Amino acid sequence: MSAPVFECRSASVVLSLSAGPRPIISDINLELRHAEFLSIVGPSGTGKTTLLRMLGGLMRPTSGEVLVKGRVLTGPPEDVVIVFQDYANALLQWRTVASNVAFGIERKLPRKECADRVNDALSLVGLLSRADDYPWQLSGGMQQRVQIARALALRPAVMLMDEPFASLDAMTKAGLQDELLRVRDRTRTSFVFITHDIEEAVYLGDRVAVLNGSPGRIEDIVTIDLPAPRDQIMTRQLPQFLSYRYGLHKAIGYG
Amino acid sequence: MASRRTLANINFSGISVFVLILAAWEASVRLGAITFEFFPAPSAIFAGAVELARDGILLQDLLHTLLSIAIGWTIATIVGVSVGLLLGFSPLARRYGLASIEVLRPIPGIAFAPLGLLLFGFSLQTELVVTVLPTVWPVMINTMGGVANVQPRLTDVGRTFRLNSYEVVRYLLLPAAMPSIVVGARISLSLALVMAIVAEIVGNPEGLGYGIVREQQALHPEFMFAYIAVVGLLGLILNAGVLALTTSLWPSTAPRPVA
Repeated sequence: MSAPVFECRSASVVLSLSAGPRPIISDINLELRHAEFLSIVGPSGTGKTTLLRMLGGLMRPTSGEVLVKGRVLTGPPEDVVIVFQDYANALLQWRTVASNVAFGIERKLPRKECADRVNDALSLVGLLSRADDYPWQLSGGMQQRVQIARALALRPAVMLMDEPFASLDAMTKAGLQDELLRVRDRTRTSFVFITHDIEEAVYLGDRVAVLNGSPGRIEDIVTIDLPAPRDQIMTRQLPQFLSYRYGLHKAIGYG
Repeated sequence: MASRRTLANINFSGISVFVLILAAWEASVRLGAITFEFFPAPSAIFAGAVELARDGILLQDLLHTLLSIAIGWTIATIVGVSVGLLLGFSPLARRYGLASIEVLRPIPGIAFAPLGLLLFGFSLQTELVVTVLPTVWPVMINTMGGVANVQPRLTDVGRTFRLNSYEVVRYLLLPAAMPSIVVGARISLSLALVMAIVAEIVGNPEGLGYGIVREQQALHPEFMFAYIAVVGLLGLILNAGVLALTTSLWPSTAPRPVA
């Protein structure tokens, strides 16, 4: 068992508001291993986005610490990239798809290597043929794939995804879920995937963490023992899948 | 093929209506429906324009006005973009500067013509006073707005990709604000043409604007209308020119067909 890629030790975020200090998330303990897919579910308002921003180094924990590869975070770390829900705002609409994907690496790599990585990333998400189009010419699902490709071009150790498929229709979502799992298998990147969709969390995850309460706490971490590769129809019918689904619904308080 | 595409882009419907109006105008004068001596037929106006061109006066006046516009617009753009960027990036600058801008902005440029005459007499500089002052505002306001309205999400993107401040401005904020800045510059150009003509009518007796007044005072309506037509044509060409230039430099600022 290798050392965790990502670690959260007793991390809390307390915001100083005019009405007084407001704890958003408390005492978060998480571990993420190499090539692991960790889903985080929770109802709205429990601080899922705050947690993600803290993990991504956009927000500093008020107490506790976040470590990437054993080093404590003091800002956005080099091996971690965030993929946002609002792809249209997160993409650079004035650049082509290929230029968008190159955004993170163009200042760091020589041109040839940069171009190769862009092609690799676009092939991984199946958009090589649209490299010269502009984001607004693509559908929502494709734009999200461009954002994913842009993150992948960095070859990060961890990808943090904030409800990335929430604004997509069901069929596109299903396609992208499978694509994401394929990407994980090919690149061996670790994923932290925030969602409010319990079935999505179970389908995608190796483990599912439940964030609940106010302030948000990790109430439970469930290990998902389902066969791989996952299948949209077969996996979702398995009694074990339904059992996980039931348990998580109860834990969150829907049931 | 480039020529076929250009052909397809020509607005035949629009042009045909305009030609129809000209034809109706011509017919009305020839048939005697319009007898006002200061409202000549388009054919007379065209003949007048040809004569002015042959004498070289038209070209001289055109070049003068063009120079005035070019210098005025360039100054206005440089000043407007610089101050606009400062205001856009700095809440402090906005807090202290916006009040003064709001007081100065409503003053019509023409109100500065007498000031220009006092300072510079009959010269190009007087025109520039009248041209630059009002045309700074559209560029400045649009630049400031363009920067201020950049998607906050792009700041997150800049941080997760670990860009430093300079890179954030150069690769994210400026390109994102560019469509706004370009719109401001285009508005300014049209305004610069208007103000240059105004300055030439009211202040400096040179250029196309003065040509209009000069021919009016000499009771040469066909020459006067010829000057007016050239001003209109100049406006068309300038606008098309700046649109072509900015679209080739920054393709993302091109007007997009509505889906």
